[in-house]
Amino acid sequence: MKSAERTRYLASLAISVLLALLVGALIMLATGHNPLEGYGALLAGAFGDERAIGNTLYKSAQLCITGLATAVASSSGIFNVGGEGQMFLGALASAWLGTLLKGSSPWIAVPACFLIAILAGAIYAWIPAVLKIKLKINEVITTILMNSIAIFFCTYMANGPLKTAERGVNQGTDALDKAFRFPRLIRSSNLTETIFWIAVISLFVWYLMSRTTTGFEMRLTGQNSRFARFAGLKAETLGILGMLISGAMCGALGMFETFGLQSRFKPDFSNEFYFDGMLVAMIMKYKPLGTILMSFFFGALKMGAVTMQSRTGISSELILIVQSIIIFFMAAEEGIMASIKARRTVRKAAMTLSKEVTG
Amino acid sequence: MDWSTVFSLSTLTNTINTATIVILAGLGCLMTDQAGMMNIGIDGMMTFGAFAAVIGSWACASWEMGLLFALAVGLVLGAFYGLFVIRFKSDEFIIGVALNIFAAAMTTFMLRSIPGQKGSFHPATGAVIKLPTITIAGMNFSMMVPLSWLLVLLAWIMIYRTPLGFWLHASGEHPDSLRSVGRSPEKMKYLASLMCGALCGLSGAYLSLGYLSTFTENMSASRGYVAVACVIFGRSNPPLVFLAALLFGFIDAAGQRMQGVVDPYLTAALPYVGTILMMVILALRQTRRKKAH
Amino acid sequence: MQFPDALANDDVSLDIHRGEIFALVGENGAGKSTLMNILYGMCTPTGGEVIVKGKRVQRFSPADAIAAGIGMVHQHFMLVPSFTVAQNIVLNDEPRRHGLFYDFRAANATVERLVAEYGLRVNAEDKVQDISVGLQQRVEILKTLHRGADVLILDEPTAVLTPQETDELFDVIRRIVREKQMTVIIITHKLYEVMAISDRVGVMRAGKLVGVCETKDVNERILASMMVGKEVLLDALERIDDHDATPAIEVRDLHVADNRGLPAVRGLSLKVERGEILGIAGIEGNGQSELIEAITGMRPVDSGKVFIQGQDVTGKNPRQIRAAGLAHVPEDRLSTGVSAQASITENLLVGKEKDARFSIGKFHMKKQAVHAYAQEVFDRFDIRAASVDKAVGSLSGGNMQKVVVAREFSFDTPVLIISQPTRGVDIGAMDFIHKQIMDKRNQSCAILLVSADLDELYRLSDRMVTVYEGQITGEFIPSQIEKTELSYYMTGGRKEDANEKR
Repeated sequence: MKSAERTRYLASLAISVLLALLVGALIMLATGHNPLEGYGALLAGAFGDERAIGNTLYKSAQLCITGLATAVASSSGIFNVGGEGQMFLGALASAWLGTLLKGSSPWIAVPACFLIAILAGAIYAWIPAVLKIKLKINEVITTILMNSIAIFFCTYMANGPLKTAERGVNQGTDALDKAFRFPRLIRSSNLTETIFWIAVISLFVWYLMSRTTTGFEMRLTGQNSRFARFAGLKAETLGILGMLISGAMCGALGMFETFGLQSRFKPDFSNEFYFDGMLVAMIMKYKPLGTILMSFFFGALKMGAVTMQSRTGISSELILIVQSIIIFFMAAEEGIMASIKARRTVRKAAMTLSKEVTG
Repeated sequence: MDWSTVFSLSTLTNTINTATIVILAGLGCLMTDQAGMMNIGIDGMMTFGAFAAVIGSWACASWEMGLLFALAVGLVLGAFYGLFVIRFKSDEFIIGVALNIFAAAMTTFMLRSIPGQKGSFHPATGAVIKLPTITIAGMNFSMMVPLSWLLVLLAWIMIYRTPLGFWLHASGEHPDSLRSVGRSPEKMKYLASLMCGALCGLSGAYLSLGYLSTFTENMSASRGYVAVACVIFGRSNPPLVFLAALLFGFIDAAGQRMQGVVDPYLTAALPYVGTILMMVILALRQTRRKKAH
Repeated sequence: MQFPDALANDDVSLDIHRGEIFALVGENGAGKSTLMNILYGMCTPTGGEVIVKGKRVQRFSPADAIAAGIGMVHQHFMLVPSFTVAQNIVLNDEPRRHGLFYDFRAANATVERLVAEYGLRVNAEDKVQDISVGLQQRVEILKTLHRGADVLILDEPTAVLTPQETDELFDVIRRIVREKQMTVIIITHKLYEVMAISDRVGVMRAGKLVGVCETKDVNERILASMMVGKEVLLDALERIDDHDATPAIEVRDLHVADNRGLPAVRGLSLKVERGEILGIAGIEGNGQSELIEAITGMRPVDSGKVFIQGQDVTGKNPRQIRAAGLAHVPEDRLSTGVSAQASITENLLVGKEKDARFSIGKFHMKKQAVHAYAQEVFDRFDIRAASVDKAVGSLSGGNMQKVVVAREFSFDTPVLIISQPTRGVDIGAMDFIHKQIMDKRNQSCAILLVSADLDELYRLSDRMVTVYEGQITGEFIPSQIEKTELSYYMTGGRKEDANEKR
């Protein structure tokens, strides 16, 4: 993106975010809450103490990896709305292997579980990718339906064949070996060691997307696949590759959740994590660096919203509303700018013509 | 397994009841599809419609008001969708997906803002008045069921037998052809968006006041996406979309019947698997036909 | 009708009289279509006025134009393919039953009445997507007549027609003008058609109206020089003859289908040797696009063989064919030749990103080397833009084309396939691109050139072939054949008919 365009984009983003937060405040007012109190509780919840900061950091990491997962698939031309399902399968597959490998060395077990998680996620993403590229079946519909399928399947497994015999666990697999688990970095916060791995993966994906030939070729394929084929790129392979990476990242996050916070696979471990990250990527137009940076902002909002809900009774869904409103604002701004531009071009063409005719 | 329970009378009523959700939403999606817009946002429109219907029905203690609320919200959302896709030329998938997320979040937020409500709507005072039922061939159906059949017929007549339907289709297939004879394709697209919103509102109202009698968070359960798939499968032809929706309803109902034998979580996934298979079969047939050509 | 400008000289205006056939000629991009689109209300002018039948036009919209009796047959037909002929003709003016339902019978009757009245045979119940282009054009004309048009604008009506269909069209035009007192404006760039049909002719060049004459007072030569003007008389290009008889491109008995699955290339064979430019001349839609796409791997081959540098590349994908030593400037730069959202740098780099000078281990990109390279090409090809980081979509047609040419030519391949290299490009960029092409030839590249612009073919080609309906109809040396004669072969080589026209 050239610099003037970027400045304009950042300016309109800032305005959109402010306006959306304002709408959020209005909604609070309308439902009989004090917006200052609400946003105050939100800030405190995001940064109030060590535990809050830990939680915020972890939430940001979650948004970052899911956001990049959306971005990497979109950059090569496929809109992956199915990360949630890919994450579920990654979580279940790693939990299954983890319980099988109970007692073995964590140096073998953990990498093995990681591998099976990314494999599960990637394979599940491969299906809609192939359907899209070979049969032109719309990926938004297939991926969202496959979310439901994966979640039902994983819930079934956790209630049926893989259900733990442990008492007091309503639904879920056996607990994982303590030695396999990622310890918490800040006591009683959500922040576990997995944040390092998420950071490593995110950096690698950022690097892949913006500094390598593969990322370059994927981007061109996403922008104009006919051109990519014409220029001799392996357009089909690149499109599928984007989805494989995306699915693998979601699978990895599933494993991190299972081996970090949860200690076992539970079908209720995710509160639609993937969609939160997807929205961040959509707001940042699938730009990797922007997605990473914006994750911190929304991580704070998301985590703060939990405290806001418990202290003031304002539902944390408010933040999801704010996020989608930002997308609407950005889309409207783009449309208005484009129509102004178009009107100008028409006027210019007409002016030249009138001069020409007079000549 | 006893197959006779799968193919029983109650499976038939279940099939019809479930299919009606998809039929109404599918008719809405079909309107925008005729006008050249793939509306992924119908899931969100249904969710909003379901919420508005329950609130209207409860607050005014009348199902008529519930229906009216749902229709009004649907029209507003239709205009909103049209504004972005037609006026601002935004990507229809991004707007659709954002609309769905917004709808789920907004309705959940509003539900939780009502004191004491979480998960689903259980008012302490008053009651949610359901839509009236009608007995057809000894089976009880919500009034929305025969209404949806009537709407399928009306949609077919409009699209294939009236000038309005022709303009609607022309605005999608070749907008300039319409423009060049002096009619604005944009206006037709807006009309399609509004009709889509209204039909999705009806679908939502049926969902919360006919199929069930309450609003629950995320109650559309991706059925909007199923409806989109049915429209693709039925090539935007109302009777064919109707049949595709019935097929979906049957898989769903048969799945419920099999719950005694197969795990309910697995049977719940069946309709979604069926929908994807439906799309794959259609696409395979189309590519094969193209090759033969 | 008048187009005087309210602000500037009031000298020049264009008046078109009732009952005449007025031809508006000019090269591609001379502004003919824009002028007529204003008249028809698809564009709005800011200055000047339009007067139709003595009344000043206040609002510009197709509905107002129709009400004023103006009908336009666009170059790209305004027909809904899945509708029937009748549905299209009465679109937005449908006969109804009970005020609501479309009256199929009445619509068909309307069409039959029109057919009888104007003698334009069509079948009311056929679907438009199933009928030939010539028939579709008739449907368009009937559509305007049904709306009561007495002024008919035809935008490039013969571009897609066969010679026979063209003759039929001209008969129809003469008849409606004679019998119905219609006024017809034909936009075209084919001079022999102007001579054949028009009463008066207006010439446009680079957006300006340069003259209006009675057709009987002029001939093709005069019109051509008016159309072309002085500044387009480009210098001859230097040719170094270092001809090498080894064929670098060879096509043998090729058959290719178009998008609808109908045969587009039908048993075509050709050879291009090193150090020569073979030009393909033909009216658009005679299989040129399909031929090029088949050679370059963008379209499947039904039968026949393609060899590049002696290597059989039939049915290979574009990647494999490029590896055999071919680069390709496609006919449609926006859909095929560039990624509009990507920067100039990125568009110039595509295909070279895995070279050792631009990446380490074919993976890590050397940002600075890429930037330096792009800047160097940017300067060498004189691409006019604020910087190499600009999105290609924001460039003018000429500069965008330069990006495509720069990228493709810098692959330094022995074979070049070039389609419409200067379509919609200004004269300066055109001359520049021609020189680049000639340089490549002089460096003993084998070049296959497809162009709709005959001047371009004459200026560049060593040999030319004419194609008609997917077959070669003749082979010529440019200096030994007149343009007019060449165009007879482009329309199927019916020499007798054409002699009369001359």
